[in-house]
Formats: sequence, structure tokens, C-alpha cells
Amino acid sequence: MHLNFAVEVKGLRKTFVSGWFRKRRVEALKGVDLAVPAGAFWGVLGPNGAGKTTFLSILSNLLTPEEGQVRILGRDVQTYSMELRRRINLSSGHANFLWSLTVRENLEYYAMLYGLSKTDRQKKLEELFHLFDLSPFARVRFEELSTGTKQKLSLAKALLNEPELLLLDEPTVGLDPDVARRIRELIQTLHREKGTTILMTTHNMKEAETLCQEVAFIKNGMIKAHGRPQDLKRELRLGDTILVTFRGNLPASSLESQEGIYGYQCSDSSCRILVDDHRERLPQILDLLTGAKVTIHDLRIQESDLEDVFIAFAQ
Amino acid sequence: MKTYSSLLPSELIKTRAFIYKNWTMAKRNVFTLFEILFWPVVGFFSVGLLTEFAGMQPQMKAFVLVGVVSMGTIQVCQLDVAYVLLYDVWSKAVKHGFIAPVGIRHLLLGSLVVGMARGGAVFFILMGASYAFFNFDFRVPGIGPLALFLFGLFLCAASVGVLVCILVLIFGNRADVAAWSLVSLMLLVCGIYYPISILPEWVVPIAAAIPLTYYLEYFRQFYGFTPIFSNPLAKGYILVLAYLLGEIFLMKVALRRAKKTGLLLKLSE
Repeated sequence: MHLNFAVEVKGLRKTFVSGWFRKRRVEALKGVDLAVPAGAFWGVLGPNGAGKTTFLSILSNLLTPEEGQVRILGRDVQTYSMELRRRINLSSGHANFLWSLTVRENLEYYAMLYGLSKTDRQKKLEELFHLFDLSPFARVRFEELSTGTKQKLSLAKALLNEPELLLLDEPTVGLDPDVARRIRELIQTLHREKGTTILMTTHNMKEAETLCQEVAFIKNGMIKAHGRPQDLKRELRLGDTILVTFRGNLPASSLESQEGIYGYQCSDSSCRILVDDHRERLPQILDLLTGAKVTIHDLRIQESDLEDVFIAFAQ
Repeated sequence: MKTYSSLLPSELIKTRAFIYKNWTMAKRNVFTLFEILFWPVVGFFSVGLLTEFAGMQPQMKAFVLVGVVSMGTIQVCQLDVAYVLLYDVWSKAVKHGFIAPVGIRHLLLGSLVVGMARGGAVFFILMGASYAFFNFDFRVPGIGPLALFLFGLFLCAASVGVLVCILVLIFGNRADVAAWSLVSLMLLVCGIYYPISILPEWVVPIAAAIPLTYYLEYFRQFYGFTPIFSNPLAKGYILVLAYLLGEIFLMKVALRRAKKTGLLLKLSE
């Protein structure tokens, strides 16, 4: 295992056993391996019940695995639990805090749990109030907050100890699009400016594509694939589709010899061409069409996105 | 390398966090006033008036009033220790506390400080009421014995409160009922209203296993009652400290189990 990894997981297994007499066993993780480099922003994607939250909960030491090795910031998560709790933090979607306490009181309380002195607490709280626009809600009780403000509070709490590793469990779930976008911008800024390693679970493929450098797909408690979104698309041969409508005679066989073309369907006046990357292949296809002296009437590009990758893996 | 002196401020701040939480939550909750004033005072006057009606001798009255005041004090103080976890359970915010770098010692000490403040308030209110309405003076044994007795009661309360926390970590939020019922069980066997000598023989060992029994024996001896047990104060302290140490260990085990079963996460959903 390497010191430059913020998260190193090998052979991670977790089974939930419920019931006192008639035991019911649910295998949530069935041997997960993953290594997230320090300073990276990775996403963990997967359908409901895939094991995403279980995975993050083990990393944050809220759950104990049956088997496997978990190292966070180069240290074993069980042996160095107290030290790691100082250095990491977690923010979840649909977060709950002490209902009767105000936003300021909640943050004050959690800041004390991290051992921040009065001066440090005041400074940190002002910084977080400013960052998340929480000042107008400072004296509002948690139970009276909107979902978006609760989520901002959850993120603010997660930054109290300036974590080296930030775990985000569906940070924008259930939020209005404008609030979700603001939260995404804040997370992005945090990663860019502070260099915090971020591991995020999400159902929102656009969000993962926008924020994450690499993603890991988890399904039935196993990591099915991980890598950069464009590499995964290539791996699954999802590619992009170029739709061209033309007048003239295009010998379809001429497409076969072209590099980077996964497949095509042509009729008399149109072609649907599946390529690995439209940015790289469009010039050569245009050259081909021009060479065949056809008149182009319409040309459209359909980019595959992470959602297609997600569907491909989920199936 | 961190030294003890550099760790101390952080330890104190973390302990203060739980004082802050329990105190602020208590201030917000109107029922807190009921816990301190209403129930203990109602219980005290009911029993006090009963002693008048029954025409009890001053010595017997002292016996009963020491019991009822102790009970009220323990009930309120133990609630605060139990609340330190229950507030999080009721708010479904358990996981945030356990992600933070705090130990059971911070949680226990912080909540006990608030428990002592609230339990102390109950004790002194009822002590004043005893003197004013039933002509019974708690100061007869002197400040030292009174302080030792009261601190013993707080430790008893802490052991009950931690037991509630352990039960919640094993059985989930259904166990919160223990916060109100465990003390009532003690009422039966510890000699609150009657000497344990009248209990069936098989119950006496149970009474002897509860520290409160010894504290009551210790304090009542200043009012002319001969203790059944020798050195009741020392025995009370040894027993309660042993229980607290054992409970801290058990709470760690219960926490490990809750992390294994996933209960810690369920308490946050």
C-alpha cells in the first residue's frame, strides 16, 4: 500500500445481520478494492442499495467491516480511529442535527467536539457563515430550516476541522436545482483551493461528470469499474453518435476502414455513425464526406454521458 | 509530540461541548422546568404530607424524607447523563457525534456536570422545603457528610445514566424508556421509604449490590438509624466507582457492537 493514497481499501466485506432469533443476512459489500490518490476528487456511483453509503460509513469508522483492510491517509482506520477522526469529516444528504439548537449553536457544539478554542471557533464559524451564506439563519433552529439550508449546515459542519479527506454522501439529494448548483460550486471551490481529497457518492450523473476526476461504479457490493468518465465510455464502447443527413452517393464501406469508428447504420440519405470521441473523429468523417462529393444537409452530434455508463453498468 | 499540558485545553473544550449541548437543550425545553420543579416537588410534598397524616415521629419522618429527596435528585441527574445520547437519538444525529474525535470520558463528564447542576438544584430546593414545611434539617450531619452524600448520589445517577446509554446502543431508541424506569426499580429495593431489613431475604443481596442503599444508610445514621452494613460510605463509593469503570468498558463494547450491526447508522436515519 502506498502513502500517497488518501483511501486504500482491499478485500472489504460487510454483512448486516438482523433479528435476535431468526437471523437475516444481507451482504452489503462483497470484496471491494479501491485506492483514491491524495488530493483527488472521486465519485462512487451505483444504483440504490449498491453499497455506496455502507462503503462511506466504513471509511468514516461508523461501521466495522468483517473482512478487509481499510487505510485512510496512510493509517489503519480501526487502529488510528481517534487520530483519523480529527483529520476526516463526513457530510450526508438529508442530514440531521440537534433539532432545538440554532445553526450557530449546532456549529458551535460540533466545533467544540473537534477541540477548537473559543478564538478559533469564532473565526471558523464566521468563515463558514460567509462561505455558505448562513448568516441570516444563524439564530434559526435546525427544525425550522429549509432542506437546502440544512444541507449547507451539513457541509459547514464537515469543514469545521479542515479535513484532509472529505466524504460526501449524496450532498445534493433532494435540493432545488439552483441550490444544488450552488452547493456543487462550493464543493468544487473547496477542492480547488484547499486541495482536500473528496470522495462523493451521488445518483446525479451530471454532477459526477462535472465534479469528479474519476468515478467508481459499485453494484451488488462490488466495484464493477473505475476510471475517468471518458475512459469508461471508451471501455464500454459507448462513444458518441454522429448523425449526418446528405444528398449524394456515399459508399458506406468507406467508413469501415476509418479509425475510431465502432459502427454505423446508413441509408440512402443519412448515416448514423458511432465513434469513440466525436472531437477526434469528426474532421476525418467530414473529409470522407467531402471526398465522396456529397452535400451535407444536416449534422448532429449526440454525446454519451456518464448516465449511459451508469445504465450500462447497472444492467 | 503532544504533551499532557498541550492536550488538556482540548480535553476541556471537548468536555465543555457536552455541557454546552445539554445545557442549551435544557434551556430550550419547557419540560426541563417540570423535571426540576414539578415532579420532584409534587413527589416530595405527597410523601411529606403522608408522613404528617400518618403522625410519624421526627426520626421516621427523617428516614422517609432523606429517601424521597435522594430519589428526586438521582432521577433528575441521571436524566442528564442519559440525555447526552438521547438528544442525538431523538434528533437522529447520532453519527455526527461519533465521527468527531471525542471519547466516552468527555461525554460522561460533560453531561454529569449539567446533571449535577440540575440535580443539585433539586436537592437544595427540596432541602429548603423539608426545613420550611416539615421541620426537617438536612444540615444536621454537617457540611462534609452532606457533601459526600450528595456527591455519592450524583455518582449513582451517573451509573444509571450510563446504563441507559448502553441499553440504547444495544437495543436502539426503544430503550429510551429505561431513562425513566430504571430509577423506579431502585426505589423498590434500595430502602427509599422503608429499611431494607423488611425486604424478603432474597432481595437483600440485590439491595446490597446497589450503591444508593449504602449512601442512604450512611446519611440516615446521623439521624439515629443504625446501619445494617459496616462502612456504608466507603462501600458505596467503591461500588459506584467500580460500576462506572465497568460501564465505561461496557459502553465501549456496546459502541463497537453498534458499529458492527449498523445500529449507529440506524439511529441517525
